[in-house]
Amino acid sequence: MERTLVVDDSPTIRRMVMASLREVCLGGFLEAASGLEACEKLALSPVSLIVLDLNMPDMHGLELLAFVRRHPALKSLPVIVLTTRADQESRGAAAAAGASLYLTKPFTPQHLAEQARGLLEAKP
Amino acid sequence: MNDDRDTFAAEFMDDYYAECSEHLANVRRLLLQFDAVETAQPAPPHVIDELFRSFHSIKGVSGMVSLREAEALAHHMEDLLRALRRGETSLTAEGVDAIAAGVDLLERVIAARREARPLPAIDAAVQRLERVLQEPRDAGKPAGSPSALPDEPAWRITFTPSPALLERGINVDRVRERLREHGAITSATPRVAGGAIAFEFLFTGALDAATAAAWREDGLGIEPLEAREAVPVEAIEAAAQAGPSHVVRVDLTRLDELMRMIGELVISRARLESALAAVERHVPPVEWRAVQENAQTIERQLRDLREGVMRVRLVPVGELLRRVPFVVRDLTRESGKRVRLDLRGQGTEIDKFLIERMLDPVLHLVRNAVSHAFETADERIAAGKSPEGTLTLAASSLGDLVILEVADDGRGIDEPAVVARARAIGLDVPDPPLDRARLLELICAPGFSTRDETDRASGRGVGMAVVKTTVEDLNGHISLETSREGTRFVIELPLTLAITDALIAHVGDRMFAVPQTGVREVIAIDPASLRRVDRYEVAPFRGGSLPIVRLSDLFGVESRAVGLHAFVIGAGAEAVGVAVDRISGQREIVVRGMDDSLIRVAGVTGATDLGDGRAVLILDLAGLLRQRGARIARGLEAAS
Repeated sequence: MERTLVVDDSPTIRRMVMASLREVCLGGFLEAASGLEACEKLALSPVSLIVLDLNMPDMHGLELLAFVRRHPALKSLPVIVLTTRADQESRGAAAAAGASLYLTKPFTPQHLAEQARGLLEAKP
Repeated sequence: MNDDRDTFAAEFMDDYYAECSEHLANVRRLLLQFDAVETAQPAPPHVIDELFRSFHSIKGVSGMVSLREAEALAHHMEDLLRALRRGETSLTAEGVDAIAAGVDLLERVIAARREARPLPAIDAAVQRLERVLQEPRDAGKPAGSPSALPDEPAWRITFTPSPALLERGINVDRVRERLREHGAITSATPRVAGGAIAFEFLFTGALDAATAAAWREDGLGIEPLEAREAVPVEAIEAAAQAGPSHVVRVDLTRLDELMRMIGELVISRARLESALAAVERHVPPVEWRAVQENAQTIERQLRDLREGVMRVRLVPVGELLRRVPFVVRDLTRESGKRVRLDLRGQGTEIDKFLIERMLDPVLHLVRNAVSHAFETADERIAAGKSPEGTLTLAASSLGDLVILEVADDGRGIDEPAVVARARAIGLDVPDPPLDRARLLELICAPGFSTRDETDRASGRGVGMAVVKTTVEDLNGHISLETSREGTRFVIELPLTLAITDALIAHVGDRMFAVPQTGVREVIAIDPASLRRVDRYEVAPFRGGSLPIVRLSDLFGVESRAVGLHAFVIGAGAEAVGVAVDRISGQREIVVRGMDDSLIRVAGVTGATDLGDGRAVLILDLAGLLRQRGARIARGLEAAS
């Protein structure tokens, strides 16, 4: 099983995500604090899941998501968007950009783990 | 569900505090740049962006650890910054103040959670941020408006990451840094090329041949852009460089923590002193002298350490006065008056905490002066003054005191108008002329304002009443001089509030600590010389007489004094003596505030431990006399 890429500019949130998913994502983790860094990690290592924050320093999470969906090798990768924005507009935009799941912060570790498990099990 | 989350969050609290303090330090650094920006100018977009992101991160992570207050505060700041970013509102001095006050409160909320103390209330700060957000936009350009691109060559830089390059330490972040060293990145886009991921940067900057060669060596593609090719305006720019490398930014809470530890040391030393005193008679004189000398050395070193840490907290008053020119300029533009600003003593150093607390009061005095005190140019010429008024802000230090003066050469305070207004709001006022202290008391009365409430200079909610209480809360003192040649407010503040020298006073079997900063002098009184005027006692003092208040009466303690000592508080006509049985000496005391409003007693500022484990109340004599002293003075006037 490949690794899970956790993209968030907050190191605390990254650690929380990884702690929540420890028992689900057995391939281990890669971390990125910015969109460009995430692209680079994707270029250099195969991953099986992305957990993605929307607000980041250099490119918006949705831009990164759109980029992933355009990329032939990555386009079917499950991507969980994890954000503080709970409004319908943001949900719609994330869905349009190709998010597999939309979860809002604050999240509970159990909920995140369940959702990620569901996505990984559904993978072809 | 929430309980689960809290258990989960408990493991991450240290991460949370560390991350927040990093964000808050970053925010403070960025806020400093606002002060350098004239309020009519748009704030630099990258500063707004970075601030927005810091607050956004604090919001998200505070939500995860269920710290609702921090989440809400950060959320409101984020809203304000979003509006700024979209140009829906523009940045006023009040906006900057509201953000700065919000940051302070956010820091206090997080610190309170860390120390498991009750969290401070956030409603007022939140309302203030909402008010700023609702203010109509003035003519300033929106933040984030296009700024002219530098007139430098533009380039398209491409970078394809590879494991080989990564091994040499060349990754996208490193490339970004390099570009920033040589110019500005205007856009950064990931591209998919032949199944591989590449990055394309648009970049403006001067590249010399050697640099370009070195970059190509590291796998970067470099091609010049046509000068007229459109470059996205939203520049992604590094934040302005932090200050020179010999400056270290320290979180104020860390300094508070140091100060608290030194406070503990002071108390421990006092305990050691009492313990030593108890064994003195069992120790031979020669050995005793050695013990004494060591004890005195420790005392001296501790004092130096305390002063050293205090000095670290000091910042130049200039930081407080920096926004004054903008306020004056805005107001004079509205009123058509001509005012020259004279700032003196900006290098005077003052505790960071005092700067933050005094900002609003000082700005209020400035607004007051420009709106009320200065005449129009024609009126000034008619009065034989120069057409341009002068507003002087001076800071100086005197021993343990910082003195701030706000002086104008305007028309002076209109005493009859003040009296009429004071009577109109139901204050009991004798006929003019009034002494200056009385006049100040009237204009600082809650609800007093001689102008229409809609007047801009009513200071957006900060009235003279707030100026006076802020100063007095800081154990300071404000006084007033006024004539037709102008008005001068003088504010005296103690340099620091944490540890101070106090006189230990005894009344009956009770002990009190009286900080020396508020005490003009200490006099001995012969009880036989006291005479009664009406219901008050008066002692002869400097050829005149001094009204005396006995602390024993105020606290309902039985006095057993044969002689009396009195602290003289206030000056001139408002001087009052507070009589105690005896004064047993001077000590360094650690002031611990009483935050609990339930046990707040007028005139008691806190409690201290003299080293024997007993808590001793610290008295704010000026506060104690604020109500009573005024009544005494009036009683004496009436009687004489």
